[in-house]
Amino acid sequence: MIVVASFRAEGKFANFRKMKTKHILILLVAAVLLCAGGFWLIKNADTGSVAVIKVDGQVRDKIDLSKVEESYEISIDTEYGHNTILVEPGAISVIDADCPDHVCVKQGKLTGGGLSIICMPHRLVIQIGGSDIDA
Amino acid sequence: MPKTKKLAFMALLTAMALTIFVIEAQIPAPVPIPGVKLGLANIITLTAMVLLGRKEAGVVLFLRIIMGAMFAGNPSTIIYSAAGGLLAYFAMCLLVGIIPENRLWLISAISAVCHNAGQLLACALVVQTPGVFVYAPALAASGIITGLFTGFAAMYLIKALRKMRN
Repeated sequence: MIVVASFRAEGKFANFRKMKTKHILILLVAAVLLCAGGFWLIKNADTGSVAVIKVDGQVRDKIDLSKVEESYEISIDTEYGHNTILVEPGAISVIDADCPDHVCVKQGKLTGGGLSIICMPHRLVIQIGGSDIDA
Repeated sequence: MPKTKKLAFMALLTAMALTIFVIEAQIPAPVPIPGVKLGLANIITLTAMVLLGRKEAGVVLFLRIIMGAMFAGNPSTIIYSAAGGLLAYFAMCLLVGIIPENRLWLISAISAVCHNAGQLLACALVVQTPGVFVYAPALAASGIITGLFTGFAAMYLIKALRKMRN
């Protein structure tokens, strides 16, 4: 409300020259908080327990994590590179990759929710549920 | 600025951007979110844009992306850095005429968000999975924060470079 009121007092919304630094900063902080809230909502969304592994948009594997009883590893080798995926009861993670940044490994275990493990250099996506699976 | 001096300055900026880019690639990702990075090389793009102009900044950025992909490893990531860099560059070109120079940090923050948006868009097209957009809020937030940081850094660099030249 404070932000909205301050914009009215300043006049034109898009006129950056007239806006006070304080107001821009408040707007930016509000945007960051809003995004953090959105991220939190997505992270905790209920998406079921079926994990889908995709490379280059093609589905490689579908695993119902709630039915996994013993842990096992899957090796994904493509022209882009190598990833080792660990499937556990109720969780899935990438434990090894030959990409330079290893973001996919650091993302840790995926146990549910709307987030996915993405290895951008290797075009690999692991997601749980999601609306674009059956399409 | 004389033509030769300008060329030398552009070469210097490109070398600086490339060095920063390669060093940054060695820093492990601070948070486990794909696409999040500091974007320190953007300091140089901003500096080139303010001190030299739009066209020159575009050349420096283009060279940094091409050579960065050559030096810092995986050539398949060039799609992401090119898409992000291009969108950020256009945003910067547009904003540099609208927002005064003492608010370069705002230009930087907006262009960083655009960089992340372009990168995410390229990623969605490459892996053909709209599901990657779940990271849009996280990337927008990180773009604002890292963009503010690189923007302030660029402002200090510009101040120092102007003093040096006089």
